[in-house]
Amino acid sequence: MGEDEKEGTHGVVRTFRNMPGFWKASLNPWLIKVKNHPERLAFVLHRVTGAIILFYLLLHIIVTDIPAYNHSWYAWENIMKSFNNPANHIGEFIVAGCVFFHGLNGIRLLLTEFFGVCVGRPERPKPPYVAPTAKSCQRKLLYLVFILAAIFWVLSGLIIFGVWG
Amino acid sequence: MGNASRLAIWQYITAIILIAVLTGHLIERFPPVTHQAYDKSLSMSTVYSRFRGAWGIGLLLLAYVALFHGLNGIRGMLYEWLPGRRREKIWDAIFWILFIAFASIATYTIIALPPLPK
Repeated sequence: MGEDEKEGTHGVVRTFRNMPGFWKASLNPWLIKVKNHPERLAFVLHRVTGAIILFYLLLHIIVTDIPAYNHSWYAWENIMKSFNNPANHIGEFIVAGCVFFHGLNGIRLLLTEFFGVCVGRPERPKPPYVAPTAKSCQRKLLYLVFILAAIFWVLSGLIIFGVWG
Repeated sequence: MGNASRLAIWQYITAIILIAVLTGHLIERFPPVTHQAYDKSLSMSTVYSRFRGAWGIGLLLLAYVALFHGLNGIRGMLYEWLPGRRREKIWDAIFWILFIAFASIATYTIIALPPLPK
């Protein structure tokens, strides 16, 4: 993402320019540039974590159906025992991190986009133009999301790897 | 209202439901609540009692809403990636096929749950 400067009726107007292409712009966290624009990072992470959670959810529904499908609990118990290994715990840890970030960021999106909280008031664009949303408390909310998601992720790691509980 | 906006509204509505139900589902495995280690908190009897009790309906609701939210999110991304009226119909069809298939599996899990072995 770069910046363009154009001469407008109210002086020089700076606009952000997205990288072209769906994949580069929205799904690849390593290709986007997020300097001074953490919302962009949150946007991409929200999509990536959502896709990971959906994949897990589909598997979770299939695995949970095993007792009903086999008319027996023993098949389910055998599969659960086979899941009790470090590789699977790492997978669960990754999914837990995705759930915490996606959930907390989802609450932020609900507040800002759905309920219009913390987005600032519309104002006349005076140069150098900074969008009211970039100055409003939604950005603090975003940093809070990053911090809380990291804390919950660490705590979930302690639980999953058997350090706590 | 465009199709993408319509999808987004449903994402917000399902997200509000998910916050409540998914939090409950996660707390079910939280050691201070279960008083058991994470590995030990998922036994046949525990899962059976959850599915057979009133919470079974809550878990089914969670499966429906989470499926809708997740698949609808992917549908929204597909609308952006490959737009067009005809393609949107294809994405809609794939969305409903997957949603009905997995929602049916989740429903069957609750309805056809076998009794615990003695």
